[in-house]
Amino acid sequence: MKKLLVVLLTLALVIPICALAQEQPKEFVVYADKNTRDNHYIPSGFMGDYGDVKINDQAMDNPQTGATCIQFVYTAKKSQGQGWAGVYWQNPPNNWGSKKGGFDLTGMTKLTFWARGVKGGEVIQKFMVGGIKGIYPDSAIVEIGPIELTDTWKEYTINLAGRDLSYINGGFGWVTTADLSPEGITFYLDDIKFEVDTTLKPEAKKQENIPFYVYADRSSTNNHFIPSGWMGDYGDLKYDGAAKEDPYLGDSCIKIIYTGQATQGARWAGIYWQNPANNWGAVDAGYDLSKATKLTFWARGEKGGERIEEFKVGGIMGEFSDSDTATIGPVILNKTWTQYAIDLKGKDMSYIIGGFCWATNVDVNPEGATFYLDEIKYE
Amino acid sequence: MPVTLRVKRAKRTKRAQRTKRAKGMKKIYIVVIFLLALVVTLIFATGMMGRPKPGVYIKKLKDSHYQLIANRKPYIVKGACYNPIPIGENHEYDWWSDPHTPWLRDGKLMQEMGVNTIRVYQPHENIEEVRRVIHDLYALYGIRTILGHWLGFWEYPCPFYSDKAFQDRIKKEVLEMVAAYKDEPGILLWILGNENNYSCWGRVNPWSDEEIDKEADPQKKNLLRAKIYYTFVNDLAREIHGVDPDHPVALGNGELVGLDIASKVCPDIDLVACIIYRGKTFGNLFQSLKATFDRPILLSEFGADSYDAYKNLEDQNMQAFFLESQWRQIYENLAKNKKGAGNCLGGTIFEWTDEWWKHNESDPKGYKIHNPEAGWSSGSYYFDIKAPGNMNMNEEHFGIVALSEELESGLNKRIPKKSYYVIREFWKNPNLNPKNKKGAKSR
Repeated sequence: MKKLLVVLLTLALVIPICALAQEQPKEFVVYADKNTRDNHYIPSGFMGDYGDVKINDQAMDNPQTGATCIQFVYTAKKSQGQGWAGVYWQNPPNNWGSKKGGFDLTGMTKLTFWARGVKGGEVIQKFMVGGIKGIYPDSAIVEIGPIELTDTWKEYTINLAGRDLSYINGGFGWVTTADLSPEGITFYLDDIKFEVDTTLKPEAKKQENIPFYVYADRSSTNNHFIPSGWMGDYGDLKYDGAAKEDPYLGDSCIKIIYTGQATQGARWAGIYWQNPANNWGAVDAGYDLSKATKLTFWARGEKGGERIEEFKVGGIMGEFSDSDTATIGPVILNKTWTQYAIDLKGKDMSYIIGGFCWATNVDVNPEGATFYLDEIKYE
Repeated sequence: MPVTLRVKRAKRTKRAQRTKRAKGMKKIYIVVIFLLALVVTLIFATGMMGRPKPGVYIKKLKDSHYQLIANRKPYIVKGACYNPIPIGENHEYDWWSDPHTPWLRDGKLMQEMGVNTIRVYQPHENIEEVRRVIHDLYALYGIRTILGHWLGFWEYPCPFYSDKAFQDRIKKEVLEMVAAYKDEPGILLWILGNENNYSCWGRVNPWSDEEIDKEADPQKKNLLRAKIYYTFVNDLAREIHGVDPDHPVALGNGELVGLDIASKVCPDIDLVACIIYRGKTFGNLFQSLKATFDRPILLSEFGADSYDAYKNLEDQNMQAFFLESQWRQIYENLAKNKKGAGNCLGGTIFEWTDEWWKHNESDPKGYKIHNPEAGWSSGSYYFDIKAPGNMNMNEEHFGIVALSEELESGLNKRIPKKSYYVIREFWKNPNLNPKNKKGAKSR
């Protein structure tokens, strides 16, 4: 009996020590090679203009390692009229947060991947980990971008140190826009994996440097925020972010046509530039623009006399709200380019999701309005 | 002269001098006592002593913090907007003369919760009835009343703030209100207007005049209107101070819109009473006000409804979540809290009881239905923003006390919602760090 007790006591002490001594996994693979058992997520979550995206997950055209890599072709044809597209790697496939899936990746501190473009210069607006909402939402969202690819393989890292990775259904993803890649792009990805790197420290929320562009030119990697928040009579709006008609600077400007037909019966319309697209305060993704003292932009009306009731920064209120708001207006546009400024002195610009906004209505534009915007930037 | 005689004479002289001095002192004492008696008599005669009315004022502390003082003690406004319209009636209902005295039922419930203030947007015409309500609430439950005035905002066709006759009429009404109730011990302060500032920007009840119409620039037109409006409100505040130095005067304002103009023309405004619907956070409201118009702020209208327009069902948890978060921010920004702006005086939740008439006031049948349709949209209240058309704000469900069709002593039975209990506990033991349940700090 005594011996048995000693044995049991020894086992009770040794087993946990052995368990602790077992090495924690150092990496967790998203994609290594086609048909590799280590792959944990499926590139099933096609978003935006999904008709513009084609995938070949067993491309043998010069993979970074192994026998295959993933090829994406994005045509930028706006098949679904969105102007942007992207793909999420999910578990299980097509899980937009409606099913319990995902993985507990606690302990991982970074995601690394390799990427290259066919020509070089292809722009991906962002690569991300997590961020899928729904009934079972991801516990984190981390993004990097925009990134301009090179024509040779290059490794990229998303720092996850300090993030809550206890539930990640969207293991990896990318998004780009037709404005950033108007001719379409072909690019490759390989060796996507989570890793443990004890030397990595959590990234502090950084203050963005000035000037910080909302819009410079159609394909500029300096552009931030997406003109995704269409409001009121959104059916009355046409947006062209690559207009060639006499841009103020560079090769393109923004052209907006407001027909004033009150398609949705609201009798007003407007657009918010958001980060990320369609973020009405549900996603924690505000920029820290504390260094900015004003937002400037250039505008002109097609005929002159078009009236914009309000130009605005900030003001999105949701679970994650903009830290402040500032407006000017009403503004009656000139036929020639005129610069306007929204004064931000004394404003708290430490968290901005809604980078820029305009709104007008049919009462002051009974015939509608066509106007142009360019060089929208925080200074 | 022998030495003994000289000594005796000297003693006599000293005695005589002492007697003379004593007589002189006696006269002085009599005069002083007489004067004191006169002063005391005058004080009593003029009613300056023993008057029950407490002085209410705003004290500016160091670091530009502000504190409301009532009865010589710091006073945090823990209030609710009060308009107890029974089921089946609309806003025209005269509850002040209701024989079932709803304010007594509500006053008791409020006292049990910790409410110390009600806000009334504008008193009824019958002065005696209004006095009775103010008196009852204060005398029985220690609840003070904030009285407001719409400043003609809802008059048809629109307010004419640049029209002298209109101004004079409103001024007369406001000063009559102040004269009628300023001596009620239960009065806390006055609020002028509500969201009238939006009319200057044409968002509601737009108005203009010939001078404004001449201005071509629409931005300048708005600024002209704002200057006229705020100058008028300041005139009112100045005149109120002339007749009632014992109560602060607040400028009612929708959000912070226009306060940069007010800062230039409103030196007589004591505080700003803001209407704010920003969901779980007030954002940088307090700091922003400090930078724009350095006055203390009362959150005179804020809150959340208790109906989930997306799931189409009652959700008292949602309302309680928002309200607790809002009160936490109010407390963080009270005076003497180093983390906050120190310029908040408290708030009056919108509102005490649900009002069943509000969804469609042109449909009397609807006054008997607790309507689930939303009247407006706000992404700040994000739980149900995915409701059809993003219409998620249910105007008939903002009360922290529900009404039942069942009658109790002639009144709709009051059923406190979850937020009633959550805020009651918060006020008892304000926990400014929700993650730390032991971090509660009493004030």
